[in-house]
Amino acid sequence: AQGPSSVGEPPAPVCILVDSRCLSSGVELMTSLRQRHAATVHVCSLDGSYFIVSNRTAVERHSQSDLAAKQNRKRLAERVNSLQGLFERVCLIVEKDRTKPGEASRPFQRTRYYDSTLTALVRTGMRLLWSDGAEQSASLLADLARLEQRKGQGIAVPMEVRGQHRQQALQLYMSLPSVNYIQALSMSHNFRSIGQLINSSIEAIQKGGCMSRSRAEEIYRFLRYSCDSFFLNTSKAGKTS
Amino acid sequence: METKAVLNAVPPYGHVITSEKWRNSSLIQGLKGGGVRILFEEQLAVADFQLPNKSCILYVSECDVIAGNGYKRKLVRYRNSSSSSFQELVLLETTRLSEQYFAAVQKFVVLDLGLTLLPVGGQTEASQLIAQMVHGEGRENPFRRRTSSRLLDPLVLALVQHVPGVGRVKALALLEQFSSIQQLCNAAAAELEPIVGQAAAQQIHSFFHKPTAAGT
Repeated sequence: AQGPSSVGEPPAPVCILVDSRCLSSGVELMTSLRQRHAATVHVCSLDGSYFIVSNRTAVERHSQSDLAAKQNRKRLAERVNSLQGLFERVCLIVEKDRTKPGEASRPFQRTRYYDSTLTALVRTGMRLLWSDGAEQSASLLADLARLEQRKGQGIAVPMEVRGQHRQQALQLYMSLPSVNYIQALSMSHNFRSIGQLINSSIEAIQKGGCMSRSRAEEIYRFLRYSCDSFFLNTSKAGKTS
Repeated sequence: METKAVLNAVPPYGHVITSEKWRNSSLIQGLKGGGVRILFEEQLAVADFQLPNKSCILYVSECDVIAGNGYKRKLVRYRNSSSSSFQELVLLETTRLSEQYFAAVQKFVVLDLGLTLLPVGGQTEASQLIAQMVHGEGRENPFRRRTSSRLLDPLVLALVQHVPGVGRVKALALLEQFSSIQQLCNAAAAELEPIVGQAAAQQIHSFFHKPTAAGT
């Protein structure tokens, strides 16, 4: 039997975080997200030009020619590695290259190199999504955010971080190993003080930071990690010499 | 029982397993041209190809998409039938004729079913991509995450420097006395004073314990 149809029901607005570096190349996309998909788009400063669509999912956007260019591979590999360290799920939107108005669209020349890049990305568990332009990319981002919301992973924490102290706390949370922006934001809203987080149990960190158990364990251990005196001495020596 | 055995069969390196219906196709010609060896197997269940790297492929043609909904049932069966240890890929033939259906098919394949979708322009492109997958197996994956164990000490030092008024010198001095972040956080202002002076001691203590909630 089919489940009840939700046609006619207006979808709940979704929240998407965008790095400020996406703005210059993404005006059309941002407008579409806000106007056509009624998404709440919040611009912030992330550690790369990507989108966050849920508590666990980040989305990168690349043009097809970007993926096909050999000189980009090292940078792309670094981006992918860093995002996979920060997020449980990483999606990559591959967008067709823009053609200038009046110019005939040139078919994309598929190379062996491009195929090997795709194959390698798929093997690492990246989720690939295909788009023919900004409009479709916006619609994919909104779809992903909605899907994550249905699975209970939607971004629910307030985006605003008011006051200097809270801003400083957010920055400190971001410097915890493997903590991404949305988790730091959740922590800055869910813990009364930085001290409360530092003294929290693994369960409380997991809940307050909206993160997996293993990540919460990692943070719990990090906060209790004793610095090696050899490291401290050599660091001091390095400073004075 | 036999069907099951075939389902989980991984072809030897450099080979793919496929079914008889592909025997005279341009895709198979392309694969052979690309140095891939073909094993034909009648019992192959839903997947069209099985690869040595434990992935399988379902090929959805332009015809399938344009002709309507039959392919959806096939995709669902594919998703449900494959062994979980296999990575399930869908190659979607995307041509000018089937382009208009692309967004809907992608939504179904990727978002609803959670399968990996790779668009190809036709059987020739598909054969090149599959050949890459077969031959690329032995090479090192540039995107494979290196799980190098990070040294935590520099990270602790960096975090302590996020406390306002604490630079590298003070952070090192503090960590010498209170070796972990938790110990430092729980130190009384009076305990911090001999290390950083009265004003900084107060500031550090209050930074850890001042409420962050309610925007104050």
